[in-house]
Amino acid sequence: MPTAPIKEYADSDGLYGRVSTQYVTFEEGLQLESGTHLSPVTVAYETYGTLSPERDNAVLIVHALSGDAHAAGIDETTGKLGWWDAMIGPGKGIDTNKYFVICSNCLGGCKGTTGPRSINPETSKPFGRSFPLITMGDMVNVQAMLVDRLGVRRLHNVIGGSMGGMQALEWAVRYPDRVASAVVIAATARLSPQGIAFNWVGRNAIYSDPAGRAEATEESSFARKVGRGLAVARMIGHITYLSEETMEAKFGRKLKLKDMDGYSYSLGENGTEGGEFEVESYLEHQGQTFMERFDEDSYIIITKAIDYFDMERAHGGLHNAFKNISAKMLVISFSSDWLYPTAMSLAIVRALQAQKKDVSFVELDLPYGHDSFLVNAGIPTMTSLIGGFLKSVR
Amino acid sequence: MCAEVRNIRTPFHEFAVGFNVIINLIEPGTRVLDLGCGSGTLLQRLREEKNIEGCGVELDQAKVLRCIERGIRVMRLDLDEGLEGFPNKSYEYVVLSRTLQQLTYPEKLVTEMLRVGFKSIITFPNFGHWRAALQYLLKGRMPVCGAHPHPWHSTPDIHPLTISDFRDFIRKIGGTIEKEIHIVNSVPRDDAFWANRRAEWGCYLISAS
Repeated sequence: MPTAPIKEYADSDGLYGRVSTQYVTFEEGLQLESGTHLSPVTVAYETYGTLSPERDNAVLIVHALSGDAHAAGIDETTGKLGWWDAMIGPGKGIDTNKYFVICSNCLGGCKGTTGPRSINPETSKPFGRSFPLITMGDMVNVQAMLVDRLGVRRLHNVIGGSMGGMQALEWAVRYPDRVASAVVIAATARLSPQGIAFNWVGRNAIYSDPAGRAEATEESSFARKVGRGLAVARMIGHITYLSEETMEAKFGRKLKLKDMDGYSYSLGENGTEGGEFEVESYLEHQGQTFMERFDEDSYIIITKAIDYFDMERAHGGLHNAFKNISAKMLVISFSSDWLYPTAMSLAIVRALQAQKKDVSFVELDLPYGHDSFLVNAGIPTMTSLIGGFLKSVR
Repeated sequence: MCAEVRNIRTPFHEFAVGFNVIINLIEPGTRVLDLGCGSGTLLQRLREEKNIEGCGVELDQAKVLRCIERGIRVMRLDLDEGLEGFPNKSYEYVVLSRTLQQLTYPEKLVTEMLRVGFKSIITFPNFGHWRAALQYLLKGRMPVCGAHPHPWHSTPDIHPLTISDFRDFIRKIGGTIEKEIHIVNSVPRDDAFWANRRAEWGCYLISAS
């Protein structure tokens, strides 16, 4: 049993206490948007707080690309803190004394929910890259199955950032009578060509890596030797999540070896560069840890689902998509986010306004780029904003 | 003199006289858009006293957060960028209180207000007030007192106007003045005599012609 929690984010304190991920399997599976039927479907999830007798206090947290079901508290076995622990817990922005908070790993993920690492019942081997392509809508449908199973008919709120924000929006559109409110953070109603381009480069890094491909269908999970392609994909992604300002403040042009007066003028012993600047070693570290905790086929499947996300195309225009929304909406963007800039949030807001929906919009002046909602320095602002909004929802 | 008249502007800032004037103009149970809504004080009062469905627009982040905490619908937008996305005639009233003279593009915004609302309510400090005029005339400097407490180089009031200017302006953009209320010695009066020289504030109910 670990003694001190391992901190991912400085202000996370694991206040909620020890938690363990639960699993539920839906033998009937689900019909995917592509037409394929996928069964069975297992969902990894965690819950925090208590469901009220009226069953009206449930808040669904939807994670971003690399997240998982462990959003808050301290993991019983690994001792790790939840990825949004600073926001979720007793007395926090999403107050577990008031709300019954649910978070699940997305379909296609690699943290317990059915995905490329799961065994394909037809071949008795892991799906690997033969896992069917999925959409944001499929992910949301699986969450709806989980919410049903937990005995919740109508969510008080669904909230997510980035890919999670897309799904929060998808929830409001797909299940208008099951969502009282939705918070859409740093998201878009359609992925931009720039976003598609970055995802394509990331996947290409994986595709060009011979190590990954050769072992893609072999039966082994975390122990599998994942190629560096995934690390490169993560590095590219990570650059897009940060702002230029953050990089300047965090790393500047500092060199990795602080005792060195100047450049090494060397590419290292075998001509394989280890990175000389701090920003390089930071990215290297991000890439390495990602290789250890993520699956490259999940990366492919999930980024494809993000690429496919286009509500305009799916509904014949955003106005049409939002016609039936009844949830109270809060759309949040970050001034320093250049991956999903404010204009993309405003496109959502304006289409909602055109349909005379109850929408609030806040662009937050936070300098940390797309990932601002995860950065601790932004948590006090996010806490008063989201805490205040949740309170105002009836 | 200035210390004494400085509080000419206070009534609107302290939400007492000014807000009451606005609140009295608004029919219960309507939709109200408050531009430059601050922390949402007016909208909260309107919700409590007149059962209105409100929405605010504010640029200051801290004030926007306060609105959300109060459960007031709000958009963080820059009024100088207009009201893109707000559908035509989607509010019974669009309110612009104390902000007209601070806009870079007042004509653009007021035109937009007439598009978005059935009626608009605009309040502004009257720079035609006799004290200001007297300061300008006798001292030969931009007035610093009462309705305009800041020196020229640091005032947010970049577009000072008088009540006569405002009447001309509304005519020019094709609006109709339905009701004029003037604050004279901190007391609201319907269409006060010699308002352009006596009123500290003008409060106007206008509609598109």
